[in-house]
Amino acid sequence: MFTLFKKEVLFYLNNPIGYIVSILFALFANFLFIKDLFLRGDSSMRNFFDMLPWLLIIFIPAISMRVFAEEKRTNTLELLLSLPISELSLVTAKFFGLVFFGSLSLALTFSLPVLLSMIGKPALSEILVSYSGSVLLLATFSSLSLFFSSVTKNQIIAFLFSTITLFFLILLGTDFFVTVIPHFMSEYISGLSPLNHYDSFLKGLVDIRSVFYFISFIILFIFMTVISVEKRD
Amino acid sequence: MIRVKGVSKVFGDKTALKNISFEVKDREIIGLLGPNGAGKTTTMRLIVGYVRPTTGIIAVNGKIPIDDRIDVVRTTGYLPENNPLYQEMKTEEYLKFIAEMKGSTFEKNDSVCTHTGIEDVLSSRIDILSRGYKQRVGLTAALLGNPSLLILDEPTSGLDPIEQDKIRKLIKDLGKKKTIILSTHILSEVEDVATRLIIINKGSIVYDGEKPKRKGSVETLFKKLTA
Repeated sequence: MFTLFKKEVLFYLNNPIGYIVSILFALFANFLFIKDLFLRGDSSMRNFFDMLPWLLIIFIPAISMRVFAEEKRTNTLELLLSLPISELSLVTAKFFGLVFFGSLSLALTFSLPVLLSMIGKPALSEILVSYSGSVLLLATFSSLSLFFSSVTKNQIIAFLFSTITLFFLILLGTDFFVTVIPHFMSEYISGLSPLNHYDSFLKGLVDIRSVFYFISFIILFIFMTVISVEKRD
Repeated sequence: MIRVKGVSKVFGDKTALKNISFEVKDREIIGLLGPNGAGKTTTMRLIVGYVRPTTGIIAVNGKIPIDDRIDVVRTTGYLPENNPLYQEMKTEEYLKFIAEMKGSTFEKNDSVCTHTGIEDVLSSRIDILSRGYKQRVGLTAALLGNPSLLILDEPTSGLDPIEQDKIRKLIKDLGKKKTIILSTHILSEVEDVATRLIIINKGSIVYDGEKPKRKGSVETLFKKLTA
């Protein structure tokens, strides 16, 4: 499993596309935060973390769309499955490869807390918890995108399905959604959105229910991807 | 070594294989022949556990490939149809990856490279190799880990006559120690290499037996049974 994980990570690191997507993500993330930094006049990173899910719904599908779709298109999935690796190990290795690369890209935004430390006194423990929540959110998005990549040979279809699904999942947790549906439903439906669970991390709190939500979501989609890979007829 | 009994395979509304049965003994070289779409690739995919039979039983060394895929592929070298490779990798990097996945190792001076003649392209990216070299890389990958069973789907496809000859000699040589199932369109290849012949036509086995001894008689037999 580690061999495949290593191959997946090296694919991004040896490929210009990996660098381009990662640098574009970091540029957007850094720019969108810094452009209003001096207008806001505080040293909180809240704005950055509020904006992050919207960037991730593009970035994660972009790096994950090829993972299975390309293996299917080029028939290398048949090659991989002729090697002694279980479908679960295969999916897990690819998932962790994605999360690792996604986290490396997220690490390119560490310049922001460093910058804030130079001009003010940011709450570093809160920032650290928020980054942990961001990695969990990134992993959650990766599991869903991995599933969509496994159901098609077409990378563009995988990208569109992932982005649209993630967009609606995020939308469920916004104030906009809460105002347009009946109150008795909104509490339950918005609880399904990763955004609500991510929000608790942004307050600097590690809510065990939210950790459970993210891990359950990831396990569910890894399981669905395994089933999709097993269906080869 | 391999037992296929009453196996059928249906994809949607298309029947790829109809109730086929055959056995393969140790160190046999089976030439699997048939026109396009006859069911050769499906048969090979069933043996390595890539697809599940609709009906029937397959056993490789007593293991059911679809249920015990990992055990079966641990002792099997497989060259799939159209030789899929990770084109962005260098040859050596690719072979190291395959060897590690098989729980084995690969070194530049591995004897398998000498056999397949790829020493000169170990540092080249796979996507710039000629079709012949790509085929040799795929064959080398199948041979890594010293498998006792080799399943080769058109191993000489795209090679020039000289390269075809080299690969045939290699397969013949390997057949002294390993069991080989070889699918091909080239009838003379089977005549040269195989010890036994299985001809599939429209999903059914139409011939399973000794290879005809007389030169050119495989072609006559093939034409007669698949016309």
